[in-house]
Amino acid sequence: MLNYLVRRLLIGLVTLVAITFLVFGLIRSMPGNPALMRMAEASPDREIDPADLERMNRDYGLDKPWYQAYFVWLGNVLQGDLGRSFFRKEPVARLIRQRMGPTLLLSVTSLLLTYLLSIPLGLYSSARANRPEERVLSTGLYMLYSLPAFVAALLLLYLFAYKLDWLPLFGMTSDNHQTLSPSGKLVDIVWHAVLPVICSTYGSLAYYTRFVRANLQEVIRQDYIRTARAKGAGPMRVLVRHAFRNTLIPLVTLVGLTLPYLLSGSIVLEQVFSWPGMGRMYFESINARDYPVIMGLTLLFSTLALVGQLVADVLYAVVDPRVSYS
Amino acid sequence: MSSAPRSRSAGFWAQAWSQFRQRRLAMTALGMVGLLALVALLAPAIAGTRPIVCRYKGQLYFPCLYYFNPAWENPVFARDRFRQRYPRNLREKDAQSWAIWPLVFQDPFRRVAENEWEDRPGNPAGMEGKPSSMNLLGTNSEGIDVFAQLVHGTTIALLVGFVSMGIASLIGISLGAIAGYVGGWADLCLSRLIEVVLCIPPLALILAVLSILEKPTIWHMMAVIGCTGWTTIARLTRAEFLKLRDADFVLAARAMGFGWPRIIFRHILPNALAPVLVPITFGIASAILTESSLSFLGFGAPPPNPSWGTLLNSARSNMGMWWLIVFPGAAIFTAVLCYNLIGEGLQEAIDPRLRDAGK
Repeated sequence: MLNYLVRRLLIGLVTLVAITFLVFGLIRSMPGNPALMRMAEASPDREIDPADLERMNRDYGLDKPWYQAYFVWLGNVLQGDLGRSFFRKEPVARLIRQRMGPTLLLSVTSLLLTYLLSIPLGLYSSARANRPEERVLSTGLYMLYSLPAFVAALLLLYLFAYKLDWLPLFGMTSDNHQTLSPSGKLVDIVWHAVLPVICSTYGSLAYYTRFVRANLQEVIRQDYIRTARAKGAGPMRVLVRHAFRNTLIPLVTLVGLTLPYLLSGSIVLEQVFSWPGMGRMYFESINARDYPVIMGLTLLFSTLALVGQLVADVLYAVVDPRVSYS
Repeated sequence: MSSAPRSRSAGFWAQAWSQFRQRRLAMTALGMVGLLALVALLAPAIAGTRPIVCRYKGQLYFPCLYYFNPAWENPVFARDRFRQRYPRNLREKDAQSWAIWPLVFQDPFRRVAENEWEDRPGNPAGMEGKPSSMNLLGTNSEGIDVFAQLVHGTTIALLVGFVSMGIASLIGISLGAIAGYVGGWADLCLSRLIEVVLCIPPLALILAVLSILEKPTIWHMMAVIGCTGWTTIARLTRAEFLKLRDADFVLAARAMGFGWPRIIFRHILPNALAPVLVPITFGIASAILTESSLSFLGFGAPPPNPSWGTLLNSARSNMGMWWLIVFPGAAIFTAVLCYNLIGEGLQEAIDPRLRDAGK
């Protein structure tokens, strides 16, 4: 097992270097010079002094070819320095820490809701398989699964924020957030989070419910289920104790694979709701050619993806004694 | 083949098709996609401001082809200074002329002005542009007809699905085939490559690649979606090839002295294709979704382009115009749902374990 872990980690490191190298090359070939853009923003009408530009280019490491600049960046990362944002003049690590909270708030709530709802729904729909009420439920969930989140987001925004004015239109906090009492602040954030959480939950809810149901359908045909029925176990007991426990294996591996999405957030949803999270930060930094931020986020996303795969594989061996890596 | 003996059992594909045909939902979805394809093909005849056919100065012209490619408009109309206004110019410049017009006189690229068509009011703009008898699905903030944009956007949505997944399957199947068949070092390198592409969130990767282009067009977008969406196909193809490369029929082919291209393409690929077809169908759905999200984020081809996502994007700044949310949203939803249903039907039809399960 240890052997396997070490090998996987080493391969993962190589992959990580390859990913960051690739993305570094990609972003350095984007048109538009961040130094120029930054100066144009600072003083739109002033002529740009070539000496100034050269100094900024040097500060940003833009005077070197990208493959050299990459190794400078890599060296800094190995020393724990992700660099500073071109635009916000703040360390990338601090920016990421600031944005992590809002994204985690959405993704963790949504993941918990998904699990809390999809397992009972999945159990219900396999217990009632092929009855009219199950048909309606499954069809409804399937339709939801195909409904793009941003369409749903716009519809909900129109209905609940624009027409009825029950919920806020955008952002994570109201304008008067600072003046509220602690409990008032909490309520304010919850209020803003309702629609984003719904939109990031319903799709995965539909997917997981179908997943649980499909796995149960497969398990239910096994011999040991017939044995359990034959020995007189009630339908509930058969479903939960005998069948469901055996569908946990694929479910557990799915947890590992969703790990990266907890932190990366959804670019589209965070953009629709103006939610100050990681996805939105990525989108903004692409538009602003903020190289250090793009690189920091890429490093984080891909590390999490690799760790998630590893966790999934390890969990697989933990929950299923038939799988072993030694 | 009438000469084949009657007792011969149906081939794999014939069997899969007969299985697929029994699934009502999947067949309905297939019909819907056919309908969408028809709409895409006939878009200039459904909504447009150019005649489908017209006779002008003794010659027959097809000005509606302009909507497929602006270069296909006959230069005679530019010479005679038509300036995109066909109804009046045709009448004034040649009294003998006649024309067959599209079903709906509306343009997906510009606002129709007053009296452009005799006694017809101009398009309203902004909040005034509610659905009406003149503008079936309303108009956007610039006064461009939503129905015309949706109809012409169908072409984009379908093209995106087919072109980008065509590119993705080409890359995915060839890389997967090489990795699976050759094995060894090639497999190791290609598997790493798949992992690299797989580890970056897809939309983030596409955004990064798209930003390189100075002025991305819809074709660039398709290429980028295709070049980033091949990993699932490659992984499945690789797995199939790993399984089949030691099969007896491959051994037989090798023993007969066939070269590897022939073995890969003629012998293994047809047997490996069925499971790969499923992610391709789902991939079409997700390509349509990706394109509309990109256009929605404002990363698509610059307006005026009638992509469904661009329409939705304009709803963001005009929250009150519900018709800009409902109709394009329904269009995207329908297309995605149909491809998902087809994919599902396909999966059940070709997987013998699922065949008898969910009819």
